[in-house]
Amino acid sequence: MEKTPLTENQFAHKPAEEKSFSRRGFLAVAGSTVGALTLTQFMLPAKAKSHDSNEHGEGHHKWGMVVDINKCIGCNYCTYACQAVNDLSEDMQYNKVTSEKTENGEAFFLSRPCMHCENPPCVHVCPVGATYVRDDGIVTMDYDLCIGCRYCEVACPYDARVFNWRDPNGENSRVPEFGFPEVDRRPRGVMEKCTFCEHRIDSGLERGLVPGVDEMATPACVVVCPTGARVFGDLNDPESPASQSLSTCKTPIRLREDLSTSPKVYYLPPRPQPMAEEA
Amino acid sequence: MENTIHVPKLRFGSRHIDVFPIWIGLLLLGFAFGGVGAYQVLTHGLQVTGLTDQVPWGLWITIDLSSIALGGSAFVFGVIVYLLRFKRFEVIGRLAVLLGFLGYSAAGLVLFFDLGQPLRFWHPVVFWQPHSLLWEITMCVVLYLSVLVAELIPVILEHPAFRDHPLIQRYAFFKTVAALLEKVTHILHKAGPALAILGLTLSLLHQASLGATYGVLSGRGLWFSPTAPVLFVLSAMGGGTSLLFLLSVIVFRVMRPGLVSDKVLYEIARIAGAVVLLCIYIRMWDWAVTNYYSFDHEIATQKELLNTIAPYDITFWVGQFFFALIPGAILLAAKRIKNFRVLMAASVLPVICLILLRWNYNFAGLIASITYDPFTPSVQLNSYVPTWQEWAVGTGVISYWLLGFSLAARYLPFRSKEAHH
Repeated sequence: MEKTPLTENQFAHKPAEEKSFSRRGFLAVAGSTVGALTLTQFMLPAKAKSHDSNEHGEGHHKWGMVVDINKCIGCNYCTYACQAVNDLSEDMQYNKVTSEKTENGEAFFLSRPCMHCENPPCVHVCPVGATYVRDDGIVTMDYDLCIGCRYCEVACPYDARVFNWRDPNGENSRVPEFGFPEVDRRPRGVMEKCTFCEHRIDSGLERGLVPGVDEMATPACVVVCPTGARVFGDLNDPESPASQSLSTCKTPIRLREDLSTSPKVYYLPPRPQPMAEEA
Repeated sequence: MENTIHVPKLRFGSRHIDVFPIWIGLLLLGFAFGGVGAYQVLTHGLQVTGLTDQVPWGLWITIDLSSIALGGSAFVFGVIVYLLRFKRFEVIGRLAVLLGFLGYSAAGLVLFFDLGQPLRFWHPVVFWQPHSLLWEITMCVVLYLSVLVAELIPVILEHPAFRDHPLIQRYAFFKTVAALLEKVTHILHKAGPALAILGLTLSLLHQASLGATYGVLSGRGLWFSPTAPVLFVLSAMGGGTSLLFLLSVIVFRVMRPGLVSDKVLYEIARIAGAVVLLCIYIRMWDWAVTNYYSFDHEIATQKELLNTIAPYDITFWVGQFFFALIPGAILLAAKRIKNFRVLMAASVLPVICLILLRWNYNFAGLIASITYDPFTPSVQLNSYVPTWQEWAVGTGVISYWLLGFSLAARYLPFRSKEAHH
């Protein structure tokens, strides 16, 4: 018996063309879809990608804050100044002051800005890259990108993120006692957070000021603090107020170190009170 | 073979009443109620919900997770029909595709309202952040929804109206359209295996990532768990297939007798039963790991506090353990039981179990959260009560799902013309 050679004719009775067309057609559609989606990554508006560039401080600054728990009197001025400068309604607080206790039961005030973690959970989870770490370590937001899914709020172990639930139309009750708005109000439905007053730092550096030293370039909460409990500065610079303050303490603490978020906000722990020491 | 669809009728004395129009009317009412809620949400924003900064995810996320999970049978049966080539499941596979499409589109619908900026829903597709689980989920869901549409189009186009409508005979234009549609059906049918592979990949990716969405958050001890992804995949497969079995009995055994043999239905039940039991096995390990090996020292306190405000332990042991174990065993023994009433009743429970798993998972970590203070961290108890607007939008989305299913069950033939080639 003669073997039929494997030729195209063998498949002639089948609509081979149609079959291959369908598969090819499918692949073409799938391929071009993926291609088009990838292309969008190269056509992003400049603003959306700005945090990849080096425009904020060329990476040699590392802004951080030191809060001396012993000096904090719980007056809440930091919260109020923050609300005035960032133009927040009364029920929205980037900064929070709470009353806590040590293991010995001694009460103290814990004032908490955003920790500006080096390994921020909120940045890792954001589906659109609306929140990002600047080259100088500040964790900030692109309010035009945010879709308001609130995953970052769920992820943040410090409760530092605030959602803009309603239209920001009301009066700012902290103005003028605690300052004046310095940034635009954010639209309803985006996530907001403490930015270490990045607008002050950026414009201050442009004018040759030193953040942490010159008030115009320092976060509002630090400037307003009546007891000097908050100190701000460049952690990379050993002469900055923050580094100096840190060097006075052997055991500065950071919140929830167990989570490896590496906050850039340090706390000087409460010194044991004489009474407690005797007991 | 002619398709005859038997419509179940209610008997009032000697009268037989077709309740279908009443049912559709009710669903349309639910849809309208949803519209009122949706209007409120879109005009006033999320302040009309009961969500807060402490509990930012609520009822809608639970509906979203559940409806995606209940569409899980689509990828399971896509693989069974198109890759493993079990021809006897082909008709079932079409119902699975429909359930998948309804589940995913309902999820997309409810998520739209859950966003603070609904009109930016497309941002993840353009502004990539590949480290984010939520980004990966969005991309997978968008792509998988397209796959499901491609798989669903042939199922819809096989309706006689697209081939034998009198208008097609009368006008050349409609004839051309009909021929074109037939070609589309043919191409999509031929692309079946490729679509099935794509569907399987995308489904496994995002069903797992939905679990990982919670599982990676180390700051919340009740969530932080590497088993969450596996658990979400398996419960979606088990619960989704249970739902498929329940609806298959209604759509095929009751309404289209003769199209699918009872043997095939038993096999679906057994698949569902096996996966449900596997899922509950992993769930038990997850429970043990969370309770005994967690690095979070406050787990016991968190659970204690949760139980003071809601019956979490009961919903776990009854709702998630026994509601899975008992029906799992019954469904696995479907061939011996051979009683469709018992099997149908049993297949409802894994569906409830799946929804409870999502509900509890979502709220456990949000309601009881740990404070960040350095020396004496404690557990803080938050509260959340959905407002009527949230219930309204939820009702609307569920009505949409039921409406889609009811119309399909009543009018779609579910018979593949291509299969007889």
